[in-house]
Amino acid sequence: MSRTRPVACPAGSGAFSSYDLDGAFYDEMFAPDGSVRSAARRINSVLAAAEPAELRMVQDLVNRRFLHEGITFTVLGDDKVSEQIIPIDCVPRIVAADEWKHIERGLKQRLRALNLFLEDIYHRGQSIRDKVVPADLVLGCPQYRTEMRGLKVPHGVYVAVCGTDVVRTSDGFAVLEDNLRVPSGVSYMLACRTAMKGAFPSVYREHGVREVSEYPERLHATLASLAPSAEDPRAALLTPGRCNSAYYEHAFLAGEMGIDLVEGRDLVMRDGFLCARSIAGMRRIDVLYRRIDDDFLDPVTFRSDSLLGVAGLFHAYRVGNLVLANAPGTGVADDKSLYAYVPQIIRYFLDEEPILANVETHLCREPDALSYTLANLKELVVKEVGGSGGYGMLVGPHASAQERSEYADRIRANPANFIAQPTLALSRAGCFVDGRIEPRHVDLRPFVLQGRREMHVVPGGLCRVALRRGSLVVNSSQGGGCKDLWVLAEANRGGEDDACSPA
Amino acid sequence: MLASVAADFYWLGRYAERAEQTARLLRHQLARLPDTPAVELARGWRAIYQSLGQAPPAQPQGAGEAEAFLEVDAYTLAGSLIEETANPGSVLACWDAARENGRRVRPHLPLRMWTSLNQGFLWLRDSDFATAWAASPAALVNESIDRLRFFAGVVEAMMPRDDGWRFLELGRFVERLQHQVALLDTWRASSDVEDGTPGLRWADLLRVCSAYEFFCRTHSMTVDRDAALVFLIRNPALPRSLRFAVQRIDALLVGIDPGGARYPLAAPHRAALRIGAALEVSTARGQGRPQWEAVLQSLAAQCRTLHDFAIATYVDYSAAGGPSS
Repeated sequence: MSRTRPVACPAGSGAFSSYDLDGAFYDEMFAPDGSVRSAARRINSVLAAAEPAELRMVQDLVNRRFLHEGITFTVLGDDKVSEQIIPIDCVPRIVAADEWKHIERGLKQRLRALNLFLEDIYHRGQSIRDKVVPADLVLGCPQYRTEMRGLKVPHGVYVAVCGTDVVRTSDGFAVLEDNLRVPSGVSYMLACRTAMKGAFPSVYREHGVREVSEYPERLHATLASLAPSAEDPRAALLTPGRCNSAYYEHAFLAGEMGIDLVEGRDLVMRDGFLCARSIAGMRRIDVLYRRIDDDFLDPVTFRSDSLLGVAGLFHAYRVGNLVLANAPGTGVADDKSLYAYVPQIIRYFLDEEPILANVETHLCREPDALSYTLANLKELVVKEVGGSGGYGMLVGPHASAQERSEYADRIRANPANFIAQPTLALSRAGCFVDGRIEPRHVDLRPFVLQGRREMHVVPGGLCRVALRRGSLVVNSSQGGGCKDLWVLAEANRGGEDDACSPA
Repeated sequence: MLASVAADFYWLGRYAERAEQTARLLRHQLARLPDTPAVELARGWRAIYQSLGQAPPAQPQGAGEAEAFLEVDAYTLAGSLIEETANPGSVLACWDAARENGRRVRPHLPLRMWTSLNQGFLWLRDSDFATAWAASPAALVNESIDRLRFFAGVVEAMMPRDDGWRFLELGRFVERLQHQVALLDTWRASSDVEDGTPGLRWADLLRVCSAYEFFCRTHSMTVDRDAALVFLIRNPALPRSLRFAVQRIDALLVGIDPGGARYPLAAPHRAALRIGAALEVSTARGQGRPQWEAVLQSLAAQCRTLHDFAIATYVDYSAAGGPSS
């Protein structure tokens, strides 16, 4: 990248001539009048000074790196498994230090409350008796595990690893979804960062970006802190195997943490302890970072046809010979229906107002909400309560009349299975597309680690981007990609220019 | 090390070696295309396919196996062994399998090792065989060998000498041992024909094994069957000799199971030592002319046993027994 004196470039001019600002969406780089936001000023000036050919070269470099290093996700087709690299955009998204502080506080508050909520619903159930959440919503949730009732979870940490989807609209930051079971995507965050450091070494250094590379170390420390005995606990990462879409991530994290990557076929129960089959005999495992769903952990306790876990694993957990991260049954707290009650949960357990807002949510199980949803399908996004990955959802404004009609039938057939939210005006960030920098919708998944004593929010996250023009769906399985997220250190405001007005 | 990880390293070594062996055989054969009579070429194709344990890719109706190699063109015969994904023994399929094993042990691989394996596979997968063939029939094979040797070099330079490396190398040398035995037996069978037609040339076998120049320097320019076979079986300095492979396997097994160097020896180690002894005894001077067919077929059986013992001892052992830690 050529080194010139940084000059910020407003939207609509120079390198940003194709950048059409739309007042309906918050823009991460430009203020509504087209001037450059102060945190983004330095990266803006670098992009403004770069030739499209240079950016294309950087983009190619990053893509090639992903391809050669096999940073892929797995796609299951009808008859074969294929690997794809996740599309990565070479323009980083910038978050100012004070904005991040706000997000961080909000995420910590949320996770504290949700851990307390989980402990409560599996023990006293006071929050249910006090009608903070409807009893049938909790007890009838498919993710509620009766096997966890009365079971003492080590240090009360149900959720040790959390990935919360945060969006920004013109009203500020809001939580779109809590991922409390097996949140994924952290490896792409780390891979993006490594690639971008290689592509923009000097820009990265000048920006004073907060580091995310210590995540594996912190995750390992988090897992170790939860172990039943403090003496050199042995951890392993349980993966469903190479056909899983996140297999790259599983292998990556295990390698970075220096722990075994195990599948069900490696595991054996012996004398109530979980052991892995090594070349020299059985080796005990104290902490299992499981990346498979509850259902598949133990065929004796959960799904009897599971081949991914091992029989007797839950017994080892129950008697305290093993720690599972995350604990079984955490899915009840990230159910899409229960999401609507998280603000009440925060108020009830912490006696605080939520720092991060929720997105307005209509539970179709309630007659009024059902009527409202059916009457306003064209404006709403409707999701299945147990859905994920962008599958099975309806984006009303982008759907045809026939699609809406068919979806309405599905809602009427089983209203409790659906929630509706307004179509969010997700913020937009600059992306290098077809040789130009254009705005695209983005979201953010920061990762939070809860150990025995400490909670840590990684200063960064997976920034997902809807690469198709106008699309609001950021999931990689639905044409989304990712980009690096630069959280600026306190002292750095992103650039030295004080102001920059539109041309 | 997890047993499944050891197995993946072992198979990674086997598949990488298998891909290279196939490519080496093809390199020799493709270099002969311009000036070798069709009958000799057909015999060469048949030897390649037989030593790899494969049937011809297409057998014209009514034609015997030997005739098939005369009638099917070189493009088809080479293509089946290079880029045919439906053929599990093709270079591409073996590379793919090696890469899959590599993917499963990625937490244990230095990044450069993985990228060299991955890049090599992606290069071959994305190469257009027809275009490459039109430019030069041997180009793709030569480049494949170079990339596979590059991968081997990265392993040599970057991999810590831990159990992962030992199992990878064990797989490589077990594969080499099995393949070399099969190759020697194929050449023997072809040279033993009694219908008056000339058999495969022993000098060519030495060339395929990168041993011709070395043989000429240490023996003579004249190559006969017994001299070539004894050389390829016993010479400890030749990387593709059976003795060389057995000595490496022996050392690797001692490293994997240090206690296995003492009595009672672990089963794979016993099997390796038995093969080593068989090599010595069967080719010892003063024993009369070796019965090559019996010798090589016995060795092939012992190689299979060695593989079975290695898997049974370190990977598929009973979960009920064995120590725990």
